[in-house]
Amino acid sequence: MIVQVRAEMPATVWKVLVAAGDSVLAGSELLVLESMKMEIPVESPCDGVVEAVHIAHGDALEERHLMIELRRVG
Amino acid sequence: MTWEAELEELRARVELVHGMGGPEGIERQRKRGKLTVRERIQLLADPGSFRQFGTLRGAAEYDENGALASFTPRGQVDGTALIDGRKIVFMAGDFTVRGGASDGHHGGLGEELSASQRALEWRLPYVRLIDAAGGSVRSFETLGRTYLPDANSFTHTDIALLDTVPVASVVLGAAAGIGALHASLAHWNVMVDGSSQVFPGGPPVVKAALGIDIDKEELGGAQIHTRRSGVVDNVAATEEDAIAQCRRFLSYLPSSVYELPPRLAPSDEADRRDPELASIIPRDPRRGYSARNLIRHVVDLDSFFEIAPDYGQARITGLARIDGYSVGVMANNPMHRGGATDVAAGSKALRLLQLCDAFHLPLIDLADEPGLMVGIESELAGIERAGARLVCAVVDSRMPWVTVVIRRLYGVGGQTHHRSSGMYRRYAWPSANWGSMHIAGGAAAAYRREIEESDDPESTRAAIEERLRRVTSPFRTAEATGQDIIDPRETRPLLVEFVHDAQRVLASQVGPPAMRFRP
Repeated sequence: MIVQVRAEMPATVWKVLVAAGDSVLAGSELLVLESMKMEIPVESPCDGVVEAVHIAHGDALEERHLMIELRRVG
Repeated sequence: MTWEAELEELRARVELVHGMGGPEGIERQRKRGKLTVRERIQLLADPGSFRQFGTLRGAAEYDENGALASFTPRGQVDGTALIDGRKIVFMAGDFTVRGGASDGHHGGLGEELSASQRALEWRLPYVRLIDAAGGSVRSFETLGRTYLPDANSFTHTDIALLDTVPVASVVLGAAAGIGALHASLAHWNVMVDGSSQVFPGGPPVVKAALGIDIDKEELGGAQIHTRRSGVVDNVAATEEDAIAQCRRFLSYLPSSVYELPPRLAPSDEADRRDPELASIIPRDPRRGYSARNLIRHVVDLDSFFEIAPDYGQARITGLARIDGYSVGVMANNPMHRGGATDVAAGSKALRLLQLCDAFHLPLIDLADEPGLMVGIESELAGIERAGARLVCAVVDSRMPWVTVVIRRLYGVGGQTHHRSSGMYRRYAWPSANWGSMHIAGGAAAAYRREIEESDDPESTRAAIEERLRRVTSPFRTAEATGQDIIDPRETRPLLVEFVHDAQRVLASQVGPPAMRFRP
């Protein structure tokens, strides 16, 4: 099953920590956003494999912007 | 026995009422994964405390001898119950009877008080277990006419309740029309994920009006209302969970505005000084922290009940206990929009202020406020008017209020953490900094000419910012204003002292609120 990770707030992409094909655990950091001068880590909602990364460093995101798709494992 | 026949009829009629909408209706309800109204009431009420009133109401047919031929109970069960030993009044929709459709007003001369009127006159908390479809055009055929929608006398009672007793709405099905209104006319509400929805008109109505196909969950389910619209405060995984949350919400509040909230035996040490508080705030200003952990460190263990956790996430609001006394708690959440007050977060803060003012709860405010949310999205949402509404509520409120400035306190958003009247106290942590506006951005605006005319604008701006930063030490403010700066580990003992002192003031504030509660 594909799990979509969307921006919960308007933000700028500060650091992307994963690439397509990476395995991730629930709770591990996928990327770091910057919003209102704060770094906001975005954690994986599940164990899975990164299917696609739709954002890059410096992108300005609207709320609900699709950032990463994961294939849920287990 | 003299009245044997009548007692037998009473027994038989009560049995018919307990049969609800009949086996078929009950079976359909179970197939939807839902509990019956009487099972729900057992979950709401302390064991053995449920007492129904208006029990015998329903629609009857009689045979030619005047004997009861058939009987359909009313699609609503009204009663009283105890929650943690304290009495409440409730209404509970019964979907097994005609889909819980409101069947119009059959009463008239001699009609008994409604549940809502009884809650108002008895000064008892009012709970709605909503599982009803609202009005139906079928009633037009029964009546042989239509009727003008009116702000009937029940509505007056529903509004008066909000300034008199705690009102909680538990949505346990699709609530349309008047059901949707009742879901919202409350101090707090909850809905079950996947099996309850709220809307003025459901999918068929949307299809007719807008030509859009949408299912009821996408239209008005918990994902919409507890995360995006904020119409419903809390989401529950199951009906049991929803009703348990309702019991917990009411446990913090008095039975009416004419009483103080009950104090529980303290579950925690009053002078607990958690060492983590001295290091919870990172030195790097770009790094956040868990404001929920912060709250847990200062309130009584396991006493925090969060309201609307998934909506307006830049502000955390809820109820808690401090040394056994009920309090309202709010904290900026730096992990969402930096904790800035946007329209959604501001509306949560406003509702908490109203709740505290109405039910005599001291307000604990853990402020880390970067200001009102900036940006075009915030403008389109109407941030200025939302800010103005919050400022009004701050000024109109009178419950004792203590603010602890944790980190940032800036601008008009910062101002809303302070009240210049009544019992108000402010402490600051050494990690705090504040001002009418932020230095970054603020310097670029205030020193624009100096920066632009410089040979090296970038280093000039940096030099100005550094100069300004040196004067932002909270100790410099304290020298001039007497602002108390505290060791963060002292926070809980100071809050305990404040909440004890507040009881004296609260005792003089019982009665109707100065600021009317608005949903």
